[in-house]
Amino acid sequence: MTALLVTVVLVAGALGALARYLVTRNPARSPWTVLIVNVAGSLIAGLAVGLTGAGVLPVEARLALVTGFAGGLTTFSTLSVETVQLFLTNRWRSAVASMAANLILGLTASALGWLIGLALFG
Amino acid sequence: MSLIAVLIGGALGTGLRLLVDLGLPHGGVAFPIGTLLVNVVGSFVLAVLVARVWPAVPVWLRAGLGPGLLGSFTTFSALAISAVELTSLGAGWMAALYVVVSLAGGLAAAALGLKFGRQPTPIGPNE
Repeated sequence: MTALLVTVVLVAGALGALARYLVTRNPARSPWTVLIVNVAGSLIAGLAVGLTGAGVLPVEARLALVTGFAGGLTTFSTLSVETVQLFLTNRWRSAVASMAANLILGLTASALGWLIGLALFG
Repeated sequence: MSLIAVLIGGALGTGLRLLVDLGLPHGGVAFPIGTLLVNVVGSFVLAVLVARVWPAVPVWLRAGLGPGLLGSFTTFSALAISAVELTSLGAGWMAALYVVVSLAGGLAAAALGLKFGRQPTPIGPNE
């Protein structure tokens, strides 16, 4: 890996984190705002992997978009901690619904993005 | 100030995750152990910070460490796309195992971290 590529990945990750912060920073927000960034990032990662698989994007772009931007945009730690906090405050219905929605919509978005990337240019 | 802290934390978190990826590479039909490790460790550390450190630090530092560093150290998109790739390669069982272990591990780590963070310190200011 070149120093330039590492820099690009780090900057992309920082921008992803900033975008996530702007969407989720309201302290009174519901857990559903994490769902938005996780589904959006999963779609972007799927598209990038699909386009790389189709030969449209170079492997370096995949690294910048998947490890960098989508990795920075999405989060797992906030999801885990917020879900446990929902359980601890007896809002178990919201906890289960939030986790299920992240999983189902996130995996579906990744699969769709990947298929679209492959189908458009494959 | 908070926005700059998030950018710096985001770059550091992404860099740490990249290091783990390079140290524990995976591809094809291989269990994504690096991402699992990152997500479980990150969930534990964030929970400890939320329970122990947040009440004592300024907002910009919370933003830099929480949404910045740990938010971008951990990842959901890598979990999703790895599960899709494993399934497309015929390893649906491994994808299912990966998702279940990630969820169970992340939730257990977060619960432990919150509990650990709330333990009274051995030599506290009020003791």
